[in-house]
Amino acid sequence: MSFLKELTKGIIKENPIFVIVLGMCPTLAVTTSVVNALGMGLAATFVLICSNIMISLIKDITPASIRIPVYIVVIAAFVSIVDMIMEAYLPGLHKSLGLFIPLIVVNCIILGRAEAFAGKNTVLMSIADAIGMGLGFTLSLTIVGTIREILGAGTWLNIRVTPAGYDPMLIAILAPGAFITLGFLMAVMNMIKERK
Amino acid sequence: MENQNKLIVSSAPHIHEGSTVKNVMWNVVLALTPALIFSVYFWGIRALILSLTGAITAVLVEALIQKLRKVPITVHDGSAFLTGLLLAFNIHVGAPLWLPIIGAIVAITIGKQVFGGLGNNPVNPALVGRAFLLASWPTRMTAGWVAVKGYTMSGINNFNTIATNFEGTSQKAYDLITSATPLKVAQTLRDTTFVSEINAEAGIDLAGRIFSGLTEMETLKNLFWGNIGGCIGEVSAFALLLGAAYLLYKNIIEWRIPLFYLGTVFVLSFAFGSIPGSEPSLMLPFFHIFSGGLLLGAFFMATDYTTTPVTKNGRIIFGIGCGVLTIIIRLVGGYPEGVSYSILLMNVFTPLIDMITMPKAFGKVKK
Amino acid sequence: MKYYLKLGLILFIFSVVASGILAFVNSLTTPIIAAKKAQDEIDAREKLIPGAVFEEHETVDGESYFIALDEDSEPLGFVFIASENGYSSKILTMVGIDADFNIIGIEILDQGETPGLGANCENESFTAQFAEKQALNLKVNQDDGEITSLAGATITSRTIANSIRERANSLKSALETGGEQ
Repeated sequence: MSFLKELTKGIIKENPIFVIVLGMCPTLAVTTSVVNALGMGLAATFVLICSNIMISLIKDITPASIRIPVYIVVIAAFVSIVDMIMEAYLPGLHKSLGLFIPLIVVNCIILGRAEAFAGKNTVLMSIADAIGMGLGFTLSLTIVGTIREILGAGTWLNIRVTPAGYDPMLIAILAPGAFITLGFLMAVMNMIKERK
Repeated sequence: MENQNKLIVSSAPHIHEGSTVKNVMWNVVLALTPALIFSVYFWGIRALILSLTGAITAVLVEALIQKLRKVPITVHDGSAFLTGLLLAFNIHVGAPLWLPIIGAIVAITIGKQVFGGLGNNPVNPALVGRAFLLASWPTRMTAGWVAVKGYTMSGINNFNTIATNFEGTSQKAYDLITSATPLKVAQTLRDTTFVSEINAEAGIDLAGRIFSGLTEMETLKNLFWGNIGGCIGEVSAFALLLGAAYLLYKNIIEWRIPLFYLGTVFVLSFAFGSIPGSEPSLMLPFFHIFSGGLLLGAFFMATDYTTTPVTKNGRIIFGIGCGVLTIIIRLVGGYPEGVSYSILLMNVFTPLIDMITMPKAFGKVKK
Repeated sequence: MKYYLKLGLILFIFSVVASGILAFVNSLTTPIIAAKKAQDEIDAREKLIPGAVFEEHETVDGESYFIALDEDSEPLGFVFIASENGYSSKILTMVGIDADFNIIGIEILDQGETPGLGANCENESFTAQFAEKQALNLKVNQDDGEITSLAGATITSRTIANSIRERANSLKSALETGGEQ
């Protein structure tokens, strides 16, 4: 029961983007297309799952006073692994995500979950938490990416979805578009939560 | 004794002098009417259609959002109409009809209603709409401008004083004069590659001659009356000054912001506005003041009550800031015109300016 | 003191383990990444001048270029990479030209221009027009050239055209003076 609760809380109730408002930098920067958003979301989810498992495993042997540096080392190692594997097997995606892959290290969601959850809970619960949060993050990024890509480029997953005469609204894939889209989505999220 | 009377501040009851939001807004619309009439005279009915499209869309969107927000619908106060009209005034007459529609929607929703409606918006909604359109459809906003019939886009008509057989001397320079707005010409003449190319082609200092052509009496006259290419509302300096005089007379706008804004532009353009090899001329500041959207911005946008400082010194700072930013964008920026961005940027500084210029309350001890 | 040493030691152990794992993954992926990059360049060259064998050369200035040879080792043309700063990024363009410096084709290898404007330079509709144009006097239409600029991205278009022209000219003079090593 509780496992399921930890698994689903990240999607709406404790959505990392729209509710906790963590990890804003990748959310704003890489959501110019759905492919980027999905890639970023899945990469971060992978790191989150690995780091949550590892941190909940080592929580008993980590002295409290140096837990943050230890967490950082663990997270950085996983991020570097993702970075290298992506460059080897998914070079196109690696190129378009660019600097934001190494920056997963400082993504607040991952360190935040390590500190708030994995460092205090069992491995199983930490996995559930990581999957839930990761999915919530990926889902939110994909929604932002969908809106921005359709409006700003007229495509979805690089497939043309708008009529031929559509003149793409460039601002959607520029930086201001990210803030505007995010703002509206947060408003919608608040509306949903208030209705409940 | 007489002077003392002016200083009296009495407690309530006060007499209401009759100024209301509705009154102010519709008076500003009235003051913009000459500019619209000139525009229609130059470009025909399309200028009117685009302007009304912007204004009516803004009114409808505001009514819709107020209905959704379950607050009183106040579209009759004219503020949405004015926003839509000002937005359309920032669009050129060759633009498609959906441009002012989307601009007005953005101006009212993102620029105004998300912050809570009239009086709560941090920046000028019409300019938010314009900035949005410029970022989204840069080519639609900057291409396809239409010159006034019988005149060139740049306002330079007297080709022969610049070079005999102008078209043969340099086709590129000819195209520039006939199809770029005055500010675009001024900006292009700062491009050293372009300048050396047309000078080499013509064998004379063609760039210098075109530049002085911009500040000739003949060209300035065209700028003043509006015989140039431009956006719907900014084209005629005369019409805008007429409207501004009305607003100043009616005490609807205050003189500080426009005066310091225009004054700063005047001084800075005189000091820095000339291109290499040309002498600073007293005509140059007039060129900068009459061209682009400066008069529209200074009198009708930089004087918005909500988004500009309330203190007298604050207004002076605001005006100077706008002027400095406008000149920086015009002379060194990537855009030919910088009025809208300068006002938007200074709007953001308004709370800060108000804070530091707020007079000390009587009797309050300095910390 | 002992307490701090212990903390340091623990952190040290974590770091060593992490570095060991990273070194292992790195040794696995490095050859794949290098091979992939090399293959990408070969593919790009192959696409520009199909069916040719490429020979790498260097001009006296140390700029590398490739001579494309056909089956009988007769030169078909050259391939080089032109690079210059565009509007907001460095644009790398791989260019294939024939022996008379007519462009066979170009491919944008890398750019970070404004999405929706300059970034459109990667599109086929823009790059295709370079084919069969003379590289030695390549210019965009704003400079009275034959290349139609991208809408709203004159600087990007001009950068690409100019970088190709300059590299082609420097290659030509290098070849004429026999400055080949």
